[in-house]
Amino acid sequence: MMMPLAYYVGLSAIMFVLGIIGVLVRRNALVVFMSLELMFNAANLLFVAFSAYFQLLTGQIFVFFVMTVAAAEVAVGLALMVEIFRTKHSIDLDQMSEMKG
Amino acid sequence: MTADFATMLSAVFPEIGLVVLMVVVLGLDLLWRDERVRRLGWITAAGCLFLVVLSLVFALPPAEPLLIWGGMLRLDAAGFVFRIVFLLGAALTALFSLGQDDLQKHGEYYGLMLVSTLGMSLMASAADLIMLYLAIELTSIPLYVLAGFRFRDDKSVEAGIKYLLFGAMTSAVMLYGLSLLYGFSGTTQIAELAEQIDRHSVPVSLLVISLVLVLVGFGFKVSAVPFHFWAPDVYEGAPTPVAGYLSTASKAAGFAVLMRVILTGFWAVTPIWMDLIAGLAIVSMTVGNLLALTQTNIKRLLAYSSIAQAGYILVGVAAGTSFGMSGAVYYLMAYLLTNLVAFGVVSVVGQRVGSDDLSAYAGLSRRAPAVALILLISMLSLGGIPPFAGFVGKVLVFAAAVEAGRWWLALIGVINSIVALYYYLIVLKSAYLLRSEDEQKPLQLMAGWRVALLVCVTGVLVLGVVIAPWFEWAGKAGWALSIY
Amino acid sequence: MLADWLYIGIFLIISLFLPSVALIVAGILGPKKPNPVKNSTYECGVETFGESLTQFKVQYYLYALVFLVFDVEAIFLYPWAVAYQVQTVFYVVEAIIFVLILLFALWYAWRKGALEWV
Repeated sequence: MMMPLAYYVGLSAIMFVLGIIGVLVRRNALVVFMSLELMFNAANLLFVAFSAYFQLLTGQIFVFFVMTVAAAEVAVGLALMVEIFRTKHSIDLDQMSEMKG
Repeated sequence: MTADFATMLSAVFPEIGLVVLMVVVLGLDLLWRDERVRRLGWITAAGCLFLVVLSLVFALPPAEPLLIWGGMLRLDAAGFVFRIVFLLGAALTALFSLGQDDLQKHGEYYGLMLVSTLGMSLMASAADLIMLYLAIELTSIPLYVLAGFRFRDDKSVEAGIKYLLFGAMTSAVMLYGLSLLYGFSGTTQIAELAEQIDRHSVPVSLLVISLVLVLVGFGFKVSAVPFHFWAPDVYEGAPTPVAGYLSTASKAAGFAVLMRVILTGFWAVTPIWMDLIAGLAIVSMTVGNLLALTQTNIKRLLAYSSIAQAGYILVGVAAGTSFGMSGAVYYLMAYLLTNLVAFGVVSVVGQRVGSDDLSAYAGLSRRAPAVALILLISMLSLGGIPPFAGFVGKVLVFAAAVEAGRWWLALIGVINSIVALYYYLIVLKSAYLLRSEDEQKPLQLMAGWRVALLVCVTGVLVLGVVIAPWFEWAGKAGWALSIY
Repeated sequence: MLADWLYIGIFLIISLFLPSVALIVAGILGPKKPNPVKNSTYECGVETFGESLTQFKVQYYLYALVFLVFDVEAIFLYPWAVAYQVQTVFYVVEAIIFVLILLFALWYAWRKGALEWV
């Protein structure tokens, strides 16, 4: 017996909103990254749920690609953060204000 | 229509070529490891020009758009024109990067630029949501690295991380929109989206939600207000050639996918997206121009100017007609050359004078008359003064808006263009009227810079005077975008 | 369907109930004779020395990042391997190109010194 599609959509909407709130509210770059992952995974959940609903594989293929892309993005992000931590000894986003205007 | 294997293979020759070129550049970087790596910039530029030739020979679009590689890509005039635009942009950027040892001594700088160009090229021809998303990320991720490439420079790293955070967030929002679209239609084919959405009788409100989510992602790529916050900081912090590349090629790629997806995918809600885009156009033009007025750093000024330019191009898109798309494509071609030359001059002055401040331009007309003249041409073209390319672009997009019955949009655009002239003239004022004590010291230009500046300026003049052949291509591209 | 949920609920209640009962009963029955040694922070083995938040070398992150990317790329070989029965030469060539690109990246990382521990 399958769970109704609406449950998945609801859960993914909650995850997505939590992710957005996390990105907007939290100031620690690492936590912001985690929130971003939450947003990506909300979309992934939708893809998989719809994929099962339509009995199509395309959604699952999409998820594969999203996962790898997210990994690459995080790799770049962490590298930049290590770099910024070297000079500033903090990854607080509010302290990144070299440029204004 | 489907194609046979040989056609499909020859259609992606330029893309395969980009991968090969990247491997060659990275490989040479590893094998040489000495002074010779400075030649990589020339190799990249020459390779890109060779790929332009390759795509003229092998990847000419057929009369009817053709789906290739299992519906992943679409072989049509739009993808073709944009690909050439991107390759030219990459070649010119590679030339402008010469002479900057912290960039050109690293082979991965050019490698990343080529990967990003590959992504843009795929973006412009993507016909499937999976391909679209992958291409967007393939474009963005190398650009995040490029923006933060001077990793010993705090500003550059900060630019990189800001670009990455904004980019990742908007792309996550866009991805959510795409997943909703997939849920409404059960297909990832952009051409089939509209039909399937119609068949499943999806409520308009839900469709509009996914439209807005998707527009967030595209709005970021084209740096339209209110998704523009990253642009000034990133342009200021990133190495100048990279900023030029970001503001032109990356923006053009964003417009390519924007036009492709909303025209075909959101066909069912056409009036709504037209209004949304018109709104984006108005705020982008107005906010961009007003904020540009007070800038003293030329890179920030150009960043706000590029936000405003995105607004003008959106006017063409908001017309929603084939003519409007053609105008936008023409504008993008003109804008690529104009803005690249502007950033080229900034890069030259930044290298030789050591500052991106407007005051660094004082006395430029006496130190380097040719560079000052090039700056004059690019600023006037950005301001939309005939006989330069920017003028033709503006006429086309505003005419498209009037033709589509949105004369008020064109009116706001014209008023904005007049406001914008003010700050373009301020730049020229410091270059031509202000004096400085360094006037006797001429600026030394590297051969690569000369070539790139000359090509750009010639292009700006040619696009502004000889309109017909280019407009024919822009027209074909616009037509290809508006049918499916 | 509902019965399945019921089982989960029952397990949940039991699993919350047992440990909390054990803790509460121990708290009630156990004798309480506090002294400074007992109240001090308790840790197994030898006493700690130095900062517990030591810095890792940046090299460590480099390894982790390289590993992360290569690890995830392996995802694409799974569907390929599953579909092995129906593959033509074309698919095999495609996979070989894919692996070659990854190998090139590995070679690049190696030559650039990303895999060396300094």
